[in-house]
Amino acid sequence: MIVRTPPPKRPRSETMPPESPSAAGSDRRMVIYEDSPLAAPLHESPQQQHSDHLLCTYQCRQMVKSEFLDALSSAEKQVCDYQSRFETMNENFSKVEAERKKFLDQFLYAEQELAAAKGREQALQEQLLKEVNDYQERFRKQIQSQSDLEVKLHNEMNLRMKAESSVASAEEKTSVLERKLNHISESIEREKKRLHNEIEQLKRESKLSVSRISADLERMECRAKNAEKESDLLKEQLDNLKKQLTECLHQKNEVEQKLSSFTFQEDSSTDSNILVKHLQEELRNYEAEVREARKLRSSHENIELLKEKLLEEKGRRERAEAELPKLQEFQMSMKKLEDELSSWKLMISEIPGVSCSEDIPVKFAALQKEVIDSTMKVGDASARLKQLEVALDAALSEKQNAETEAALVKEKAAVSKSEVKRIELMLSMVTEERDKLRNLLNEFKRMKNDEAGDEVVSGTLVQELESSLAKKEFCIKEMESSLHVQKEVNTRQYEEIKLLNEKLNNEARKIKSLEREGDRLRSEIALLESKLGHGDYSAANTKVLRMVNTLAVDNDAKQTIEALRTELQKTKEKLQAVEELKSQSGDAGTLVDSYISGKITQLKEQIATLEKREERYKTVFADRISVFRRACCELFGFKIVMDEHQRSNGIPVTRFTLQSIYAQSDDEKLEFEYESGNTTILANDYTSQPEISRQVEIFIRKMNSIPAFTANLTVESFNRRTLS
Amino acid sequence: MASRTVTKDIITLRGSAAIVSEFFGYAANSILYNRGLYPEESFVKVKKYGLPMLLTQDESVKSFITNVTAQLSEWLEAGKLQRIVLVIMSKATNEVLERWNFSIETDSEVVEKGVSREKSDKEIMREIQAIMRQIASSITYLPCLDEACVFDVLAYTDKDVAVPFTWIESDPKLIANPQMVKLHSFDTKIHKVDTLVSYKNDEWDEQ
Repeated sequence: MIVRTPPPKRPRSETMPPESPSAAGSDRRMVIYEDSPLAAPLHESPQQQHSDHLLCTYQCRQMVKSEFLDALSSAEKQVCDYQSRFETMNENFSKVEAERKKFLDQFLYAEQELAAAKGREQALQEQLLKEVNDYQERFRKQIQSQSDLEVKLHNEMNLRMKAESSVASAEEKTSVLERKLNHISESIEREKKRLHNEIEQLKRESKLSVSRISADLERMECRAKNAEKESDLLKEQLDNLKKQLTECLHQKNEVEQKLSSFTFQEDSSTDSNILVKHLQEELRNYEAEVREARKLRSSHENIELLKEKLLEEKGRRERAEAELPKLQEFQMSMKKLEDELSSWKLMISEIPGVSCSEDIPVKFAALQKEVIDSTMKVGDASARLKQLEVALDAALSEKQNAETEAALVKEKAAVSKSEVKRIELMLSMVTEERDKLRNLLNEFKRMKNDEAGDEVVSGTLVQELESSLAKKEFCIKEMESSLHVQKEVNTRQYEEIKLLNEKLNNEARKIKSLEREGDRLRSEIALLESKLGHGDYSAANTKVLRMVNTLAVDNDAKQTIEALRTELQKTKEKLQAVEELKSQSGDAGTLVDSYISGKITQLKEQIATLEKREERYKTVFADRISVFRRACCELFGFKIVMDEHQRSNGIPVTRFTLQSIYAQSDDEKLEFEYESGNTTILANDYTSQPEISRQVEIFIRKMNSIPAFTANLTVESFNRRTLS
Repeated sequence: MASRTVTKDIITLRGSAAIVSEFFGYAANSILYNRGLYPEESFVKVKKYGLPMLLTQDESVKSFITNVTAQLSEWLEAGKLQRIVLVIMSKATNEVLERWNFSIETDSEVVEKGVSREKSDKEIMREIQAIMRQIASSITYLPCLDEACVFDVLAYTDKDVAVPFTWIESDPKLIANPQMVKLHSFDTKIHKVDTLVSYKNDEWDEQ
């Protein structure tokens, strides 16, 4: 603190106490040297002794004395006056001095504060500059990320367009497939009709052939009987003829004997000639008879042969009859196959775009193609997915970054806002201070103006202060303007952040949709893979082959070959027998041979037709049996399943499983064993229930009536069903 | 390995076809044994792929497999074979119970240009060994075949293949809604064989 003391106002030649009146008088008045030293000791205090050398030596002292005294008193009065005035002035001065000191202190304090404010301002400016730089950098980054995101957006839009185009193509495909489906269903309908017609035709044919066969059989039987009768007759004739032959031979011998006895008399007797002629005629007759007999014998042999053949035929017929159960089995399997076929058909109908078996390969081809397409698509999609995932990850990380940045920016914005507020507050404080200072200065100035002009230094100081204040104001204005700019920038950035946030949200939504699409595609991939693993294939470029002689067929073939071999053996034996016969009876043999070959061809033809018929019968039987079963089920209320079983001792038994159509659970089953005309009920979980076992006891064990039992059961089940 | 070239690590198309068809023969035998299609006593043990393998002695089965593998080898050399399927069916109902899929991917460049590839025998054998082990262990999860079964071999070939005299076109004998287990695969660098077994869903599992 600079303490200024006012300079000495008047240099004094002598040291004099301020209160001495002489000193005061000497200030302004002319001093009469001769008088004063004398006068002083008279009237005044002993202090006047000091001014001895000033005493008037002149004689006029008395003369001037009164005047002088007056003057002195007035001067003394004036001195007092002046003194009082001086004191007041002094007081004033000290007051002013103190005030000045105070102002100075205040001024200095203000200066200090100003300097501090400057420092703070600089710091703030620096901070603001830094923040602005930061914001700019961040802004740049955001713009960069925005451009990246835009590029991504563009890519994604492209992808979406592609996806939409693929969707459109898929829709087209589906429409094409639907059309195909319609076409196929029509063709299936046609096929069905055709098959129905065929079935009808086959039924009619089978009926016809059945009747024809039965007629044939009857005819054959009749023929066989006739032949048997004929053979019996012929046998009898043969016996007669044999007898006759032996008689004839006997007679012939006799005649020969007679002839030999008569040869001597040949010439002599003409009678004997006549007799001979007669005899010869008779002989011829006998010979003819013998021939006839031989013929008969051959025919008899033929009959024997025919009989054998008949037996053979009968055997064959029996075999055929024995095969009949097999036929049933076949029909069963046929039925099963038909069921399967129907299930297949159902399945086919369930398969979109397929309505008959021929369409399946096509459909498979289409599916395969689709599979390939879709696998390709899937590949593409998975690649896209991967890309998208990568992009997603990047976007997510960016999003996180942006979010953190946004949060940071927000925080910063909040901080800067608070700082701005703080600065504003400070500013207002500073302005207040300034105003105060200015007021003070003005007051001071006024005071100073009242005071003397020796306050120039302080005036310059004040001017300096004012100029600095002006500068300060300017600075403050600048700061305010920069603050304003900063605010604008802040608001802009805030808006940008908002925009970016919106974009971010959009991106997030897109990412979600893409994720969903990814999941969908993944599931599609899984489906297609499973299809592929399942064994589906494209009929367009693949075909499935298998070896003709599979082992199952081999086994069957072996069995048939075995059977054929045994038959061949038999026929060989027969042939041998026939040849033996042939060798035994010459020409009859040839007859038999030709007969046999003819017969064989005939039989072969018959076998062929029979086999054909058998096939037809199988189909018809399957149809009939299914109808019969359904009818049985409808009429008697039980589903009947028949299957073959083998007991532990190897004896085959037929087992019937009955299930009521009113059964409330699958376990409600009745099992029966059928063996050589006897039907026995088998115990199971259901029949061992007390109620059922009681019924079994009553109806089957006591009354020996299965129908009554089943009927009772049906009624009870029905009641339970309807009443409950 | 009929026509393996002098250098062990070089593999030709013929060699690869031979390896694959031979693999199929052994695999079929192993499946027939492990799945109990033929009685145990009709198999004999031989050492192959570093494992004791079982080969059937039933003449008909033997000749069947020999014929099949011969034909497969031919197709493999022509690069026309896409898949071999060994189908196990019920003898009574002909229902397909199991399908052993051997998908084959052929290097078309080798077929077209006749170039050869490089892969060591040892490595291929190791890969095949892994499959054989898996086939043998498959009985642990495959459902029991508690009825008499027969098997058949289906070949998925290219469309342009002329059907040989002893072969006919067939349906694929698919299983509806099957369970699938993917096994190991092996690669000769010319033929890549993926093995997969699909089988009928066991009703007991569903209940």
